[in-house]
Amino acid sequence: MPPRMRVAPKKTVSFSDDENMTRARQLNSKKHQTDIYGPPVYVKKSLLTVPVHLVALLYYYIKLSEDFDDVRLLYGLIPMQIAYLAAQFNRSTVYGHKILKLKLSLVPISLGAALLLTLPCMLIIILMGAPVRMLLRETWLLAAHCCFLAFPAVYSVFNCDFKVGIFKKYFISIAIGCWISCIVIPLDWDRDWQQWPTPLIVGAYAGAFVGYSLCPYL
Amino acid sequence: MPPIDSTNEDYVKKNMLSSSIEDKRLFKSRIQRFKTTHRLYIYLMGSLAVLQIIAIAFFARGFLLTRTVLENVATGADHEARFSKCVILVIDALRFDFSIPVDPADNAFNSYFHNNLDVLHTSFNNATSETHSSLLLKFIADPPTTTLQRLKGLTTGSLPTFIDAGSNFNGAVIEEDNLIKQMFLNNQSVLFAGDDTWDNLFNPFLSPASQPFESLNVWDLDTVDNGVIRFFEDNLFAKSEKSEEWDVLIGHMLGIDHVGHKYGPNHFTMKEKQLQANEFIKRICESIDDDTLLVVMGDHGMDHTGNHGGDSKSELEAALWLHSKRPNMWSHLPEQFYDISALGENYRQVNQIDLVPTLSLLLGLPIPFNNLGWPIQEVAATQEQLRSYSKIALDQIKAYKDISRVITAAEKNERLNELLNESLEDILQASEYQKIFLESCKDLWARFDYFSIATGIILLTASLVLLITITKLIPSIVVGQMVTELVPSITIMALVSNVCFIGIFHVLHQPKFLENWIWCSLLATAVGIIVGCFIPLFDRYNFAWITVKFIEDLSDYWSRIAAMCVTLHALLFTSNSFTIWEDKIVSFLLATLGMLTLYEFVFLPKRKLTTALLSAAMGEKRGSSSSNASSSSETESSPLGKFARFVGSYHSIVLIACTRISSMITICREEQGEYCTPTFTTANNYSPWCLSLCLVLVAYLPSLIKGYYNVCSSYQAAAPIWIGQFLKFVLLGNFVYWTVCAMENTVPTWSWDVKIFKLTLSRIIAGFSLVAANIGWLMGPLCVKINIHNNDVKSQQATILGYANAYGSQYFLLILNFFMCIMLFNKPMAQLSLSLMCTQLLSMLEIFDLLKLKENLIGPVSMGLLAYQQFFSTGHQATIPAVQWDIGFILTERITFPFTHLGIVLNTFGPHIIVALSVALLTLWKQPPSVLKPQTLLARIVSNCGMLLIYNTVLCLSSFVWVTHFRRHLMVWKIFCPRFMFASLSLIVTQVIVTLVTIAFASGRLIRQINTIFPS
Repeated sequence: MPPRMRVAPKKTVSFSDDENMTRARQLNSKKHQTDIYGPPVYVKKSLLTVPVHLVALLYYYIKLSEDFDDVRLLYGLIPMQIAYLAAQFNRSTVYGHKILKLKLSLVPISLGAALLLTLPCMLIIILMGAPVRMLLRETWLLAAHCCFLAFPAVYSVFNCDFKVGIFKKYFISIAIGCWISCIVIPLDWDRDWQQWPTPLIVGAYAGAFVGYSLCPYL
Repeated sequence: MPPIDSTNEDYVKKNMLSSSIEDKRLFKSRIQRFKTTHRLYIYLMGSLAVLQIIAIAFFARGFLLTRTVLENVATGADHEARFSKCVILVIDALRFDFSIPVDPADNAFNSYFHNNLDVLHTSFNNATSETHSSLLLKFIADPPTTTLQRLKGLTTGSLPTFIDAGSNFNGAVIEEDNLIKQMFLNNQSVLFAGDDTWDNLFNPFLSPASQPFESLNVWDLDTVDNGVIRFFEDNLFAKSEKSEEWDVLIGHMLGIDHVGHKYGPNHFTMKEKQLQANEFIKRICESIDDDTLLVVMGDHGMDHTGNHGGDSKSELEAALWLHSKRPNMWSHLPEQFYDISALGENYRQVNQIDLVPTLSLLLGLPIPFNNLGWPIQEVAATQEQLRSYSKIALDQIKAYKDISRVITAAEKNERLNELLNESLEDILQASEYQKIFLESCKDLWARFDYFSIATGIILLTASLVLLITITKLIPSIVVGQMVTELVPSITIMALVSNVCFIGIFHVLHQPKFLENWIWCSLLATAVGIIVGCFIPLFDRYNFAWITVKFIEDLSDYWSRIAAMCVTLHALLFTSNSFTIWEDKIVSFLLATLGMLTLYEFVFLPKRKLTTALLSAAMGEKRGSSSSNASSSSETESSPLGKFARFVGSYHSIVLIACTRISSMITICREEQGEYCTPTFTTANNYSPWCLSLCLVLVAYLPSLIKGYYNVCSSYQAAAPIWIGQFLKFVLLGNFVYWTVCAMENTVPTWSWDVKIFKLTLSRIIAGFSLVAANIGWLMGPLCVKINIHNNDVKSQQATILGYANAYGSQYFLLILNFFMCIMLFNKPMAQLSLSLMCTQLLSMLEIFDLLKLKENLIGPVSMGLLAYQQFFSTGHQATIPAVQWDIGFILTERITFPFTHLGIVLNTFGPHIIVALSVALLTLWKQPPSVLKPQTLLARIVSNCGMLLIYNTVLCLSSFVWVTHFRRHLMVWKIFCPRFMFASLSLIVTQVIVTLVTIAFASGRLIRQINTIFPS
């Protein structure tokens, strides 16, 4: 069976399933919505999706590197995320009862998209209380980390007909990781790792790790 | 009577114009019923408010100790000075066992902090020799053992309390008579180096050559100590002419204290610091001359962790060492008094305040007026001297007792007078008199009253349970019926328990901690209210039901978010860091809420209806048994349309952006240090850009509110007058007022006297907005208009513009009245923040209306968060120095009772007041008339108000618990205690406004009026 082409005229960017909801309520049926609408997209429940490399990176960042260098970490993250996507995540993503091959042309596009996403991401971080004028570079680095942590999800959004609904939990898990890690910022322990944005980066990695590992089960 | 669909305006109008007599009678009785219920509700909420206020009063009574400070200054010393010069070295946290030899075989021995500072005891032991005289004593501090309180005690000779009523709050110069002031008044030059607390306390009395050092940074072990040593080097050791310029040289070293805070005593740096101090003391001994008295002392001890502040034995015990090069200056007691075994457990001890009369006598100064201490017996060399010293000290204490009249209890007075007569016969008995007098004063001032604290916490917990049960758990319909039982039961039980308690108190004098019948009656009333509420409650429900309902209520997403916000906010008080950064954390939480609603609008996840909504819909069904409820519940359950979601996202973004922008306005608290740059500064407040933004507000804010009104086309009738004219003119007047203020402050050549103009303007604005505008509001300014837009006379078609928001638009005008007044009492930067608050508030209302969360916990909670966020962004912090006292002088020149206080309250609690008023809007905003019965509306308002109160109560309770827990914490008087006071006050303010204004004054009036005009 050839890979299903994405049908151009029907393509719309849907950020919600509100029509599903309406219809589901109207029909008063508890059937799986995917039966009505398009091919099912989901991530297989398997150990394959566990992003081991994030643990390794985090270990390097916290224990091995002395200076919490965010840039070096980012250089490490990007290729590893691409490898993770190719070797693990994409292999677990099921689209219409089959697993799609990695589209090489889509990788740079989604990398670019992730890069573009850093700007709204940075805006959100600033709106949540990051300093406005100072430490902009650090804030951008944090945004970049978050976006490249979400890169496999970004790719899958592109690859799977913009079914954001399936993949948004990956974004959310990273955001929650960051949100929770804010706890340590106000503490007066005077440690190096309390410097902006180190705790948030650690939180984002932890959130991403939990997210990529557990989201298929949710 | 069939309910009317809100869209069917034709029917409404017909109904309005042609109601029959039967209808009128029915309607009248309904309004009458509503009036009764309303009155009962006020009574119920009022008694809950009383309960909470009593709880706060009990806690505050136990925790905040008060003492009236007299400003009298002692004069005229007729005794001779025994020393012409004096060197005082305070070694912070010099615990007593640091200074005596400890047997290394002892279990408690620790080489890091024992036997290092040996100079003190060695010289004391050899004091019988002819080369010097020296005296080492155990020095008992009065809790709280914090440096500031100790310094006050060490110099005034009085007992510490948190609020020294009558004196200045903010740790500034001591106005009370004290040792340093006496030195200054007697023309002695006091030279100081070390901890800058001294500089804050005694600045006018110290020589300008003094050198204070920053004391805050406990990580820095050496700066202060090295500075002190260098200073002594210059002024004492060098023997230059500089060493002739002072009469009293004071040094205050912090190293040992900082090691304690940083590492704890069990650390090698402790040894280093002690050896350094030892060396230093030795050098001082060598350099002083025969006429100089050397005093070395610790201001407090430290516990095993190295911290201090509380009242444990190791924190209270410090060392005091008096040394002179002249022999035979002291008369030592027999050997067994100075027993150094077992870490000096039985060593002779003196009170810290005893140093004050001792030094005064030795240096020939009058004893400070407020002193309660007694001269140390050993310093009198002869029996003769001892008698004269006792006489002087007795006279001073007697004078203090007579003038201050602190002892009010008759039997105490009698006992004291007896002792006084005895001591006049034999002056050596006088120390007994002082002992009893001091005991009595301590009883009054310096002890936490744990019974009161516990009572306060228990009562507040009970009030929290009652609030949750009555306003949230029991369906509002049932509460409406239950108030008729609750109110009589509360009244009766309060009376009964008053009779019982006062009876028991008079006969048995129990419970002991109640001082007089007023407190007894307060406790009785509180217990009566609690019991009176619980009896009808448990008549209908049981504990299991309440628990199940509580868990059920927290089962939907938004309620959980709300509960999480409340919990997180309450948990901030568990740590000083979180309390310090509360401003940022609160705006972070508010922004998070904004993000969550934005997510909700953008993605619209599948989520079940909130249970609150369901129960409301069910209640509706039960109430009117019509098709209306089911149809409305159907419309409520249908998902939002595209446009609604767009509007909702817009409002969420507005909320987030306004939160972020306003949170940039901050007056940083001291502890935030380098991580915070203050923007709420005088320079910014009076800067041209800030004032021009205020001018923009004059035009912008009314049009902004108009925009929100226009959503329901409510900008009709009264609205243009209120918003377009009143608000605009008040804002303009406000702008003029603050511009004049700014000119006065910034233009150096300003010479006009504008005092009269300013006072007139401010009084006009305050009078108009608080009195005139509110009376105007009582007249019932409707924001609806009948629009007959067809020319066909026969047809009765007409639309009522603003019908959909008839309640909300009118109620908001009331908020505007208070808003206008609060704007006047805020500085320009805060005015910017408050106008952002207006936007946040209205956007929030729109969001919760769109999400149909009007009955959910999230509404009041996010409003509560908004109040706190705006509290911080209007230039406040939960500290006493951050209170903007100068605002008190806007209405009057001098402190005049209601007006000065009104100004400060409106300034400090402005956001809380606005929010306490607006919480009713959650129900009323976009609430068309004739859909809900008046009682239902009122019940919903009470329920939402209840949630806001629950939020504030939880914060208050948490601050109670944690301030009690941290009562020994280093920062308790700086961080936790002010925060607890702020939490209590904001709860009281919210209670008063909610009960008196929101429920009693505004809601009843509004609902009655609208129901008269649009009867259903």
